[in-house]
Amino acid sequence: MGLRFDLLLFTAALLFSPALSDLVLSKVDRRVDLTTQVVRITSTLKAENTGGNSVSEVLVVFPDRQAKTLAYLSAVSNAGKGKAKVSSVTLPVKEVELKGMPPSLVGYSVSLPEPLGKGESFTLDVLAVYAHSLKPFPEKITQADIQLLVFEDSAYYLSPYEVKAQSLTVKLPQARIESYTKLENTKIHGSDIKYGPYENLPPFSYSPIVVHFESNRPFAVARQVVREIEISHWGNVQVTEHYNIVNGGSEIVGEFSRLDFQARPHIRGPSAFKNLVAKLPPRAHSVYYRDEIGNISTSHLWGDSKKTELEIEPRYPMFGGWRTAFTIGYGLPLRDFLFESEGKRFINISFGSPINEIVVDTLIVKVVLPEGSRDISVSAPFPVKESRETKFSHLDLVGRPVVVLEKSNVVPEHNQYFQVYYTFSSISMLMEPLMLISGFFFLFITCIVYMHADMSISKSSPSYLAKLQWEEVQAVIQQIDNIISRCLAVHDKLEASLRDLSRTGDVQACKAARKLGDSALKELTKELKPLLSFLQSSSQAGHVVSKVDELVTKERELQEKLMVKLSTVVDCYEKKLSGREIENRINAQQQKITALRQEVDDLLEFIDEL
Amino acid sequence: MAPKPITSPVPDAWYPTLAVLMLAIGLVITASFFIYEATSSRKNRSLAKELSTGAVASVFLGFGSLFLLLSSGVYV
Repeated sequence: MGLRFDLLLFTAALLFSPALSDLVLSKVDRRVDLTTQVVRITSTLKAENTGGNSVSEVLVVFPDRQAKTLAYLSAVSNAGKGKAKVSSVTLPVKEVELKGMPPSLVGYSVSLPEPLGKGESFTLDVLAVYAHSLKPFPEKITQADIQLLVFEDSAYYLSPYEVKAQSLTVKLPQARIESYTKLENTKIHGSDIKYGPYENLPPFSYSPIVVHFESNRPFAVARQVVREIEISHWGNVQVTEHYNIVNGGSEIVGEFSRLDFQARPHIRGPSAFKNLVAKLPPRAHSVYYRDEIGNISTSHLWGDSKKTELEIEPRYPMFGGWRTAFTIGYGLPLRDFLFESEGKRFINISFGSPINEIVVDTLIVKVVLPEGSRDISVSAPFPVKESRETKFSHLDLVGRPVVVLEKSNVVPEHNQYFQVYYTFSSISMLMEPLMLISGFFFLFITCIVYMHADMSISKSSPSYLAKLQWEEVQAVIQQIDNIISRCLAVHDKLEASLRDLSRTGDVQACKAARKLGDSALKELTKELKPLLSFLQSSSQAGHVVSKVDELVTKERELQEKLMVKLSTVVDCYEKKLSGREIENRINAQQQKITALRQEVDDLLEFIDEL
Repeated sequence: MAPKPITSPVPDAWYPTLAVLMLAIGLVITASFFIYEATSSRKNRSLAKELSTGAVASVFLGFGSLFLLLSSGVYV
């Protein structure tokens, strides 16, 4: 197959090469990193313009078999030399339709920062990341077997341009290599295989190589990850991630022995992975890890000011083909992720999954904005499928707007920040407390209505009428009670004025207080009259009337005694008698007053209890 | 203009204190509401007083329960 492809390309090269001959790649240095399940190929290209016209873009091509697994492509200018590297600039890359080239190629064009004139050269780094491009071979192994993978590529850099000099380095995770394609100038340095240098190759040169090597690195592939990022303006960004993970390596055949695995995990189960490490943002809190059955306790969390690391272990070791599903969640402080700029708010948060070296087949990121957000727009560093939905959560009326972003074939390189912009008025934050308040208020209203409503069925029955009357009596008694209490308060005030008199000797002030008290008491007596007559006329009040009457008369008596005492004391002061003599004179009165007061208090208490 | 970080209107650390405080006040007022309902007779019960006590109590209970939710990790 490879050979046929080569032949095809070769003929294609013969046919199409003159069209793009302006540019020449004077040096190509490729490094293939196979240490993880994700294949990363970094190509350093030195492009030189030999033609007359200036060139503003460089074409990068991939055979379509590779392009299918290509997950991420980026180009960075590599302007400086050696250690004096100038800050690198990311160059825009876009897919182009290739005209006049073999149909089995997919091309991308990299725009240069400035057009390249005749004789000028430019160096750029192209990083291509592939997911699912390493194939396990054999496809099925037993528990004790090691996992072997196959990697295929070309020893020559596939390019529509002529390549003057090139080399290729393949970095493997372990020094153990099952087999590899030997070409001229092939060397092995520890776990590295070096091809090249090769010189002066025409455009579309292709020479397939196959590397078959051992790798027991985790092959964690998430079939689907749903990340839900929920913003609460009360101070939290809640992230919930649902994972559906499978070990994408060689499938296990035969039975699984837990005993062997526990005793010697490196020999009896090297291809399994036991744990996953998620690198969460700093200051993450309330971290949890659970699945459908409940909490999974095998996890560890530690953090510092730069990051929080969560190590989780699935319920069982993950052998090839085995799958697991779980959920992790964590809260993040609002101020680290939510910003305001020019009247718009935006969340700035990373797109990909925080788990290290994981390939996600379908990543769905849902950003749940607070209720009442408007003018939503998304800015992502790479193309994503965008849609909207509504979510109902705690204390929602119309639902929260949700931005759904979907992307397939996500590799760790996609862990870049994206932004969701929206406008939100702070007044909308009061919606939730207002709902709670109205809920409680409704409860109180119900109580009030219940207490005020008349629930009896027959409105004319004697017992009902008696009850109504009794309620009226009760109300009157309460009023009387109230008036008596106010009378007693006036008494207290008068007593206080007496004490003031004994302290300051100000007779006028005492007289004024007495006048005030007198008028107040008169008022109260007037108020009392209709109530008492009502009570006497009421048939229901029979047994209470006597008590109330007693109370009223006692109170009146108390009033009189108090007035007498008051005038006595004032008289004494006017005659300038000594303190002892005053005391002697009012002693008897005082005793009576105290006794009466006691009686009145007792009666009040009795009536209160009705 | 550089983006300005947004923070919550009330610092997170205050939520538990606020919850306890406001719920305590709210429950005391609720208690006084029900005592008033139970002790005053139907004839001389003042609707305005009932409504105002209820309103004040529900404001305290509402904010109190909001802060209780927030402090227990339910970010509404």
